[in-house]
Amino acid sequence: MTEEVAIIGVGYTAASPVTPEVSYREMIYEAAVKAYQDAHVKPKDIKSFVCLSEDFHEGTSIFDEYVPDQLGAVLKPVHTVTGDGIHGLIEATMHIQTGLMDVVAVEAHSKASNILTPFHIMAFATDPVYNQPLKMHPYYIAGLEMNRFLLETGNTREHCAMVVQKNRQNALDNPVAAYGAQVAPDDVLQSRPLFAPLSKLDTSLHADGAVVMVLASAKRARELSDHPIWVKGIGWCSDSPSLENRDWAQAVYARLAGDAAYRMAGIRNPREEIDLAEIDDTFSYKELQHMEALRLCREGEAGLLLEEGTADLDGDLPINPSGGTLGTGFLYEASGLYRVLELVLQLRGEAGKRQLAHVNTGLAFSWRGIPTTSGAAIVVSNN
Amino acid sequence: MGILEKVADNRETKAWYGDIPVQHLYTAGVAGERFLSEIRDNGKILGTLCEKCNFVYVPPMIYCERCFARLTEWVPVSHKGVVESFTVGYIDMDGKPLPEPRVMAVINLDGATSSLVHFLEEIEPDDITFGMEVEAVFRPKGERKGSILDISHFRPVG
Ligand SMILES: [Zn+2]
Repeated sequence: MTEEVAIIGVGYTAASPVTPEVSYREMIYEAAVKAYQDAHVKPKDIKSFVCLSEDFHEGTSIFDEYVPDQLGAVLKPVHTVTGDGIHGLIEATMHIQTGLMDVVAVEAHSKASNILTPFHIMAFATDPVYNQPLKMHPYYIAGLEMNRFLLETGNTREHCAMVVQKNRQNALDNPVAAYGAQVAPDDVLQSRPLFAPLSKLDTSLHADGAVVMVLASAKRARELSDHPIWVKGIGWCSDSPSLENRDWAQAVYARLAGDAAYRMAGIRNPREEIDLAEIDDTFSYKELQHMEALRLCREGEAGLLLEEGTADLDGDLPINPSGGTLGTGFLYEASGLYRVLELVLQLRGEAGKRQLAHVNTGLAFSWRGIPTTSGAAIVVSNN
Repeated sequence: MGILEKVADNRETKAWYGDIPVQHLYTAGVAGERFLSEIRDNGKILGTLCEKCNFVYVPPMIYCERCFARLTEWVPVSHKGVVESFTVGYIDMDGKPLPEPRVMAVINLDGATSSLVHFLEEIEPDDITFGMEVEAVFRPKGERKGSILDISHFRPVG
């Protein structure tokens, strides 16, 4: 990286299936207050604000106009990125690298429990001429991809079930996660099929929550923080949006986003140099697919890593120690920030019961969800 | 700063109901117009070829998303193809069980590089295999509307 940038503060609410006691604004306010305290800054110290949202998820047109007040960003440079939280972190990093801003805040949230027609909205994101007329629940896209991915790589439904078992188990030790549970692989295999081979327990469940992060230039980071987490590499990528022209087995977008981030971070062998990874597992098979695309193992070997326990908390390369999206909950644009949150806590040594030993470098990767082929990667380190 | 008190009584939590009345037109475009008209009028499936990339787009596009060339060469593709992937759907858009499971498939038509996503019918889900040959079933001519649903579904060949 040309100009060094660090994450110097994190604030968040615990993910929860419902949050009737607060509005989305109050949820963001809570996360912002915590983040600013953690970063030892006041809103006046923050030079720009990056938010992540989609109008249809908020039920408001031009939703980006609704974000300044709860962040202390009124009459400040603010803009919204329609992408995942990691896209926002990347944006903030580049703001700082311009030299125009030295402290930048990023915000993403989910008030999923207020969305009454989530799958109509998801289907509404598919092509209106060629796909929407089929009028099907959009999870068919995950079912088709899972089936082809398993065929081409030799990974199995059992391996997918092991992902669910691991992540929901990890979530039990994470007070931020909404869906910790002891789930046996057989429970997953026998759960209700939605779009076979995809079953109910292969899919993440929605949650509400908000995350705010404060990033700073190297100079400000050293002044303000005792434990800055340095951004070492960033990468993002979108494949063809069309269902007709995409790769149905491999996550090419993840491969390219990851490679860009590794290149910037000077990482040649991710399997050896990454100490822990928080990667998208919106559906069980996505974790395996993203592991392979991100070179955390060879193609076709993701399931093997699960079998060997390599991806467990006490394994060689823990994957989704937070519980991932399966364990934390599906938080729309905030999903990626919850992945990065875990890296920050682990690399600071603040992850409580699930704290990993000897971790210095972490990878987070987010996928923007059905029907997209967009992903964003970030490599961070505590030194 | 910080929230001092939150609503802690379920009976006091309030939410307002709202809906978004969204209506829209979607222009099929130069390529879509010809593609859908050809299906409606002649029961034929057309694509566009990028010679440089050796890629046949179905549905057709007037540009190549790989090399960015403008595409002018239209080629007919077969109404037969192979199943690249499939899934058996059990739920409707609201998450409620479908009356009957519905199979969807990724179908690579002979002569096309792209693959269509459509319904696969006239076969038991257990009998579907990767690579099996299927064909488009068109709606009767008078019932076609210039929609992707003018192909009502795909079915096994033979
Ligand atoms: Zn081309």
